[in-house]
Amino acid sequence: MLNRDRIGTFVAVLLGTALITTFLVLLTSAQPRVPERLAGFPALVQAPAADNRPDEFAEPVPWSPETAQALLDRLSGVPGVTGVVADRSFYAQPVLDGRPVEDSTAGHAWRAGSPLVDGTGPAAGEVVADQPVGATITVLTGSGPETRRVSGRSEWPGIYLPESEAARLGPGVRVLGVAGTPDPEALRAAVGDSGVVLTGAERGRAEPQDDARVRWIGMQVLTATAAIAAFACLFLIASTSAYAVDQSRREIGLLRAVGATPRQVRSMLYRSALLLGARAAVVGVALGALAALPLASVLVDGGFEPHGYHVRWQWWVLAVAFAAGPLVALAGAVTAARRVTRIGPMEALRTAELEPRAMSRARWAMGLVAVGGAVTAGVAAAGAEDVRDLGTLALLGAMALIVAAVLLAPAVVPALIRVLLAPLSGITATLARESAGAAVRRTASTAAPILFTVAFAVFVTGTVRTSAAAFDAERVAAVPTGQVLVPDGTPGLHDGVAGRAPLDSTVYLDGSATVVIGSDEVTPGTALVSSAAAERLGEAVSVTFADGSTERLRVAGPAPDGPFMSDLVLSRDAVRQHDPSALAPAVYPAPDGPAGVGARKASPADMARRLDAEDDRLVATFTILLLAVSAGAGALAVANTLLMASRGRRRDLRVLRHSGATGWQVIRSVALESGLAVAIGSLLGGTAGLIAVAGSARSLGEQVGTHVPVLISWPVIAGTVLVCLLLAVGAAVLPALRLIRSPAATR
Amino acid sequence: MTVDLHEVSKRYAGGAGEVAALDGVSARFAEATFTAVMGPSGSGKSTLLHCAAGLEPPTSGTVTIAGTELSGLGETALTRLRRDRVGFVFQDFNLVSSLTAAQNVELPLRLAGRRAARSDVLAALSEVDLADRAGHRPRELSGGQQQRVAIARALFSRPDVLFADEPTGALDNRTSHQVLTLLRGLVDRHGRTVVMVTHDPVAAAVADRVVLLVDGRITDELTGVDAAGVADRMTALERTC
Repeated sequence: MLNRDRIGTFVAVLLGTALITTFLVLLTSAQPRVPERLAGFPALVQAPAADNRPDEFAEPVPWSPETAQALLDRLSGVPGVTGVVADRSFYAQPVLDGRPVEDSTAGHAWRAGSPLVDGTGPAAGEVVADQPVGATITVLTGSGPETRRVSGRSEWPGIYLPESEAARLGPGVRVLGVAGTPDPEALRAAVGDSGVVLTGAERGRAEPQDDARVRWIGMQVLTATAAIAAFACLFLIASTSAYAVDQSRREIGLLRAVGATPRQVRSMLYRSALLLGARAAVVGVALGALAALPLASVLVDGGFEPHGYHVRWQWWVLAVAFAAGPLVALAGAVTAARRVTRIGPMEALRTAELEPRAMSRARWAMGLVAVGGAVTAGVAAAGAEDVRDLGTLALLGAMALIVAAVLLAPAVVPALIRVLLAPLSGITATLARESAGAAVRRTASTAAPILFTVAFAVFVTGTVRTSAAAFDAERVAAVPTGQVLVPDGTPGLHDGVAGRAPLDSTVYLDGSATVVIGSDEVTPGTALVSSAAAERLGEAVSVTFADGSTERLRVAGPAPDGPFMSDLVLSRDAVRQHDPSALAPAVYPAPDGPAGVGARKASPADMARRLDAEDDRLVATFTILLLAVSAGAGALAVANTLLMASRGRRRDLRVLRHSGATGWQVIRSVALESGLAVAIGSLLGGTAGLIAVAGSARSLGEQVGTHVPVLISWPVIAGTVLVCLLLAVGAAVLPALRLIRSPAATR
Repeated sequence: MTVDLHEVSKRYAGGAGEVAALDGVSARFAEATFTAVMGPSGSGKSTLLHCAAGLEPPTSGTVTIAGTELSGLGETALTRLRRDRVGFVFQDFNLVSSLTAAQNVELPLRLAGRRAARSDVLAALSEVDLADRAGHRPRELSGGQQQRVAIARALFSRPDVLFADEPTGALDNRTSHQVLTLLRGLVDRHGRTVVMVTHDPVAAAVADRVVLLVDGRITDELTGVDAAGVADRMTALERTC
């Protein structure tokens, strides 16, 4: 019975459930994937996890060759086991047309019997890759480029070498594949505490930790975007529902007068909200499930999800998203329904043309609580120990600030109207001023979505730029002058170009992964330790290398400071011996002559830019995602404005026409009033956004120890405001145009 | 059934302080009587009716319907009392626009959780000459037809007391006469109580008693007068204001 007034709520719930569905589907699709080469084994045995924080994504501690062999023997003896193989991964990157293939950096041992599109398994000096059989390709490894003949073509990612060569390049074993039909319990008994037995879907834990890290970044991005989206939708659903209930006050009053009890009216409103929510959710879930498909490829391209990520629709995800529709619609209607049924029937029947008070006591209270929340989040962000916590807290603070701005807006709207329209005179300005001023709450709620969009545009682009600026400053400061040899399309420099430059590697101290540097400045058998770690490590360190072997090294002195330094510096030869995949991050100063394959020369500033290019790309994708969500909120605002214009204004406009206003005057006053709402929303939103950005810039400044200037992307902000203005004025003027043209207006 | 008002005042918060719509009104509408309430615009006629029917709480004073004092009742109990005993016809029709005439008529009964027989609904509509309009929605009906549907609805639950705010305001002479005859019949044949606000001396003359309201106070009562007498009285009243 209240359908006409509820189109706004319908659209809001529809978009809300669509967004919830999309993000839930994308989040739940991000599951670990069993690598293709291991998928054929019903059970995997993984080396013990490193004792690091989960967000450091350390690879498991490799077994020593003896432990691996002993495990292999024990497992082979378990009933039902038909074979056990050691899985090996190492750095091996094919070069095509002189360029390293950027997304193929892993080599593995070839297993006889694995599927091939063409050709045969590799013999010594040969390789299996996704290349034509018989072709000759260059493969980069830690020791430099080598030429190999393609013996077979496989569609699996990565390249595959014969076991003997793979064992040389990847001596460390972290996973054993178990074939046959063994009892997992028997396997566990055989493994004991030297590893973890994985079966079924948990075999996905054997994925490269880089994939896990990318997925984790994706989860952060998706969660932040989903939080903003959910916030926008809840906010809009609440305001459209309240508007719809207010619009049907007359009908509610009439029902009350002819004998409907408050409870009957409430349950009627709740029922229709539930029904409307369910209807909108059907469409929303379908749209959201489909929208996940293109977004999934955006996420993979953007580097927020690993290759091989694909959309999985799980029934419970769709069910949860569907249930959210009726529930949010109901939640949106509850407050408004309670308010309208608390008053008597005659009070409800009398449509209040003039609102008595713009700010209720509850609104003040909630607004001030939101301000308090924003301040608390800001203080917490400034003292945050981790940059990631800082980001979360800054986002929370911004949200609280926006809520506060929306709630407290009616308090300043009358003043803003007077100030903004002060330079204008004439009847259209007077009409717009009186109309907007007479219904402060209506003006405020028209301005609210615009406030929301502009505030987020300022916050998102502003924060991102301030963060990027901070890291730029830090990096450029750390790099000395002169030419530097840097990787070009590779994860690092191989010995063929790096010569004796220091290597990066990972070792395990007491089972905890630690980044080390292998430098010629260190004598074999000793280690240099940074002042920060000296006390913790003592006089000698027991180091487990990437190949699983452990050595005890004497601490010979303090590690030097420099741009590419770490807590622990070992001898370069020791690192190379134990980790054939170790690469050099850069060579400074760059040697004379051509750079060689997989490397190029750069100035320090250029290098800092290069380092940031990857960050910038991630940031750009993230910004686009967030702005898309904000634009969605803007579209909702249009629906909302259309709704406001469709009914409440019709009578006023007709009366205006009858009192002698020309069509043009009517249109001008309507457009002016919409523009006024956009101006109010932009001003308040811009202010809230700026405060939030300034706050996070301060917090960031305290973290990195330098002053971080506030940078705002004005073109983006201007564009956002312009789009809001076009949408809002268009949405208000179009129905008014129809109205003044229709014969009903002159009747 | 009797409705009693004792020292009823109603004040609204206005732009410049309070506005008194009713100022200490005491009145008694006895069982099986027909009362007309007259007065200039803004004299508080509608407010008097709303307060007497329990649609609006008075600022002070008491209203008693059939021995039950309204101020002691909660919103739900008050609604039940209204639903069971009181009928109300509004000044401007007030039909639910999405329901047909028949659905509008049976609405109060349905709200009370009872089902209405189709034949009863049709009988109620034919009493106001609208049996053939049962399936029409309000927008498909003329103003007079809408008013008659509203009257049929008010009468359908057989209320003990009927309040009507300008029930003939939008009707032509013929339908107006029809409606007044209907109301008179309720009092004479069924022993119900009717209270009607009107501007029309002809309509007022159908009542047993005419109560005159000026500035929220009852200034006079007339009984046994004809239309001409009422009209004279009103003219005199308006001259003094």
